[in-house]
Amino acid sequence: MNPLLNQPTRILAIDPTSKGFGFTVMEGPEKLIDWGVKHAGSGSPRNRKSVAQASGLIVRYRPEVLVVEHTSAKGCRRRARVRRLIKSLLTLARQHRLRARRISRQSVLRSFGQSSAANKYRVAVTLTEQFPELAPHLPPERKLGDSEDERMAIFDALSFGWMFYQTMRREARALSLHGEPAPFPNA
Amino acid sequence: MSAPLESYLRTYRKRSGFSQDEVAFLLGSASGQRVSRYECRARRPTLETALAFEAIFQTPVKQLFAGLYQKVEKDTIARARVLTEKLNAARLDRITARKLVALQSFAASAETHAHR
Repeated sequence: MNPLLNQPTRILAIDPTSKGFGFTVMEGPEKLIDWGVKHAGSGSPRNRKSVAQASGLIVRYRPEVLVVEHTSAKGCRRRARVRRLIKSLLTLARQHRLRARRISRQSVLRSFGQSSAANKYRVAVTLTEQFPELAPHLPPERKLGDSEDERMAIFDALSFGWMFYQTMRREARALSLHGEPAPFPNA
Repeated sequence: MSAPLESYLRTYRKRSGFSQDEVAFLLGSASGQRVSRYECRARRPTLETALAFEAIFQTPVKQLFAGLYQKVEKDTIARARVLTEKLNAARLDRITARKLVALQSFAASAETHAHR
């Protein structure tokens, strides 16, 4: 057996919020290493502060892949500042020689839709069943007119990370059918 | 493939729901600053503290400090090879044969861990 197959790829998934970003660090689809919300304050240098904080996480956890939302995918409703931040994060990934992977929110909802989780909150509830350590962070369901709880960004980042491993698994399976080596054999 | 992190203390602490101050209290320390330094790998715990972490998180030390364990194991294997060569060059008596068996068993076990 190839020993490399047993050591999972470590990833950092980031989901920007209006005040900073939520993040998760994972080693495989079932192992959550760290999670949290980083605040970048308010005002114009917000993106710069967020990038500096993301850089700190990269140095601390040495991930191989940075996972963010696919902002040019159909149905993405992210504002211009967040799109710029995600672009800066992709540049940061290149500077740290990380692979970057963009995941569309639609694909996450589609994937969870198969298990009757069709909105962000239902996705978060489903993920909490898989990662019970996140249960204390699950905010109450959002009501009409309420602004989104910033802790939802942890679950959004987690859903991107989880989706990354599902995609990799699918791609690895497809490539192995064609006898080609998988891009991430351990995902 | 990602090499394991030197320490997974933060992961296990957050999983258990404890704050750094609470873990510090369990360790008999005054503030969570010390725990923070262990988590950031700015400081290495003593053997007593490492064993206290094992007791608190009910996880073996080698799992809590997976990256560090891997490094220590690798270095020890390298030294075991040197010792094996030395022993092989020496006169083979019963005690040397016993040492060689122990070294062989250690190397085999380390190999198994590396492939797991």
